[in-house]
Amino acid sequence: MDESPPPPPDDAPDTQTPPPPRTIHTGSPTDFLKGVVGKKVIVRLNSGVDYRGVLSCLDGYMNIALEQTEEHVEGNVTNRYGDAFIRGNNVLYISAAEEL
Amino acid sequence: MDGSSSGIQEPFDLIRLSLSERVFVKLRGDREMTGILHAYDGHMNLILSDVEETIMIVNEGEQATVSVAKRKMDMLFVRGDGVILVSPPSRT
Amino acid sequence: MASQVLPLELIDKCIGSRIWVVMKSEREFTGTLLGFDDFVNMVLEDVTEYEMTPQGTKKTKLGQTLLNGNNICMLIPGSDGPES
Repeated sequence: MDESPPPPPDDAPDTQTPPPPRTIHTGSPTDFLKGVVGKKVIVRLNSGVDYRGVLSCLDGYMNIALEQTEEHVEGNVTNRYGDAFIRGNNVLYISAAEEL
Repeated sequence: MDGSSSGIQEPFDLIRLSLSERVFVKLRGDREMTGILHAYDGHMNLILSDVEETIMIVNEGEQATVSVAKRKMDMLFVRGDGVILVSPPSRT
Repeated sequence: MASQVLPLELIDKCIGSRIWVVMKSEREFTGTLLGFDDFVNMVLEDVTEYEMTPQGTKKTKLGQTLLNGNNICMLIPGSDGPES
């Protein structure tokens, strides 16, 4: 995830641009991910298994590196990992588990 | 975007730093294994040696029980699309 | 001629509003849409996840969430989901 080309604006330039509703720094997926690195997250896989931990980093495939990871299956902790690499194709969502 | 504590820039760094170490790998189909990581690529294809695989087998019946089967392999190629999770040895 | 409103332009107009997301599997989400990208990965806020199982529907409340676009089936703008 490099910073090189600035992403295109969300909508095409418009003659009558309405004022942006509220400019919070969380909009696009990229912005969300920038804000959530280093925070506690819940990563849910398509299988329904959850991984809770601190998000170290991720890439464009949604491959994820987590620290202090707990694996939750049906509400029970089933494993703990110091570090974990999660392959992105399994990821259903990444949810912030603390205030951003 | 700097890795919060361990100097990891991208997820694959975690794997790169685990080369020649024993890693835990979770695969689709309730398969788990540990082995020495020799090589990987961008698909997460893996070469592992000295592998012990654990297979959970759910026995349907009056009381569903789970039995665990283990087997060992000297050298193994793992196709990347089956990989769910890779965890390096704990550095704590 | 065919109308030239692209589907994602419609979704772009939903930013800031509630939206109901139905996945390919028996799983649905509602939340306030904060943004999305070309893969229709979506950032939602004040999210409720609904998991439909034979035993009933399991609800989970979530904060800001990035939903992987890969398994999204349908989007219903302006709706607050299965309970509305």
